[in-house]
Amino acid sequence: MSSSRGPLLAWALALPLALGIQFAWADIALVTGRQSSIQELGREEATQLYLGHRATLANGQAAVLIDLPPGPVRDAFYLDLTGKNPAQIRAYWSRQVFTGRALPPRQANGAEEVLRWLAEGQASLAYLPTGVLDQRVRVLLTLPSP
Amino acid sequence: MKLLPPLLVCAALLRSVGLHAEMPDVRWSGFATLGMVSTSASDLRYARIGVDHPGAENPDFGPDTVAGLQGNFRFGDRLGAALQVISRETPEGRYTPRPSLAFLSYALSPTLTVRAGRMRVPFFMLSDTQDINYGNPWVRPPGEVYSLNPFPDLDGIDLLYRLQLGETQLELHPYAGHSDLPLYKNGDIGLRETLGLNLSLTHGNLLVHLGHARARLKLQWNDPDYRQLTGALQMLGRSDVLADLSGDDGRARFSSAGFQWDDGEWLLIGEYARRENTRYANSGHGWHLTAGHRFGNWLPFLTLARQTQDRPIARTDLGDPALTQAFEGFLASRNLAQRSATLGLRWDFAANAALKTEWTRTHTDRDGWGSFFPRGEPAAADMRGRTIDTLSLSLDVVF
Repeated sequence: MSSSRGPLLAWALALPLALGIQFAWADIALVTGRQSSIQELGREEATQLYLGHRATLANGQAAVLIDLPPGPVRDAFYLDLTGKNPAQIRAYWSRQVFTGRALPPRQANGAEEVLRWLAEGQASLAYLPTGVLDQRVRVLLTLPSP
Repeated sequence: MKLLPPLLVCAALLRSVGLHAEMPDVRWSGFATLGMVSTSASDLRYARIGVDHPGAENPDFGPDTVAGLQGNFRFGDRLGAALQVISRETPEGRYTPRPSLAFLSYALSPTLTVRAGRMRVPFFMLSDTQDINYGNPWVRPPGEVYSLNPFPDLDGIDLLYRLQLGETQLELHPYAGHSDLPLYKNGDIGLRETLGLNLSLTHGNLLVHLGHARARLKLQWNDPDYRQLTGALQMLGRSDVLADLSGDDGRARFSSAGFQWDDGEWLLIGEYARRENTRYANSGHGWHLTAGHRFGNWLPFLTLARQTQDRPIARTDLGDPALTQAFEGFLASRNLAQRSATLGLRWDFAANAALKTEWTRTHTDRDGWGSFFPRGEPAAADMRGRTIDTLSLSLDVVF
């Protein structure tokens, strides 16, 4: 019995550790450029923006949103903010885009490009793992890891 | 050249906007479906009446195959535009690309948008995505409901008003305009002075849709069946019956109600629609219920659907038995009433692509052809009261 329990116990300990590492970098923040005029952003407003329910910020300006390339951070962000899984969110956005109702977020090649776009004022909102943030951006909202 | 006015309006407005220094934000995207349908009976083929060209191929790539390219534009904070060009088989059997969206939108406020030009006519809950098959679980939306109104376009104006009520999102969508469609064969059908209102509620995983519209209906059948019948009616001096079959003085009313529940695991969709025509086309109603469950990238689902005729195009006593029989045949060929059960499977095998397959058993009503069309000589085949299996396969992509 004990001989079979040994590896099981090891797995039981190792798995959450491995997942913990995953989740640690999946802690995600909604950010804007340091010079941006956006002072605050509520969770509900962020949800509406990233679902294309609204296209403008509270101050009336058009919001230019950024998406990360498809991957775990993007999936975790949408699941946390909107409750939709990757397949759902892809089908959802395909409906928004092809009906001409909403402009999809602009996709960046990676975190560095996101930071650059925000710093240059080319976009107003993005989400990033908290670990990669730097002086060029300001955190508006943090989505705690699940 | 009905496409011209909305395009000209768009072009003119885009140019006037272009005079401002601001660079527009442009996003290009596209979608495509490669689909085939095959039927179990050799004397008929599956047809989406008013959508594709009834051909003779089996399997047939006409009903579902479609490709589209779209540009979404934004000029500053309030003005936007969308242009979509699609190519799919038309009732005339052509694949000539046509503009399916060409509108300008202007945000009057963050919650109120006005749009003008060519839009999708939103008669159904899923009208907006009838060509974007990737957005739906099925190979195509259930025909028992969606064949009740084949019009794709609305050339006109609409308003989108969005209201947040606590956790519930409400959208009011009034619209006005007109629509045109070619009909197999060499006929045409049009809606004029269309006025409609949609209401949709989104609450968490639940979407509820309600819609109603009214319009003036003009319809000209022109197929050999019709011409043969009208020839006989003219000889008998029955201009009263003729006036009920084709013309530009009909009235149409359309209502739909639907819901969609999607919690990421379970998918439940149901919709009911009813059309009422005073003449030229029959009146009927239809419903479908779909239940599916996601297992990772796999989504098996079951759909039950029914369309019922409420009133045929015309009722009359023609006296002569042979003529009565021909008349009933004519009415049946314009009656899509049927019931069906579908087993389907969607597989999201890549990030922006899905493979789907559906097996459907359909029973056409005793006085209707359902969604089938005779192969070869129409007079020789009868689609009434038949049990037909269809197998559909499709590959959907968006980019």
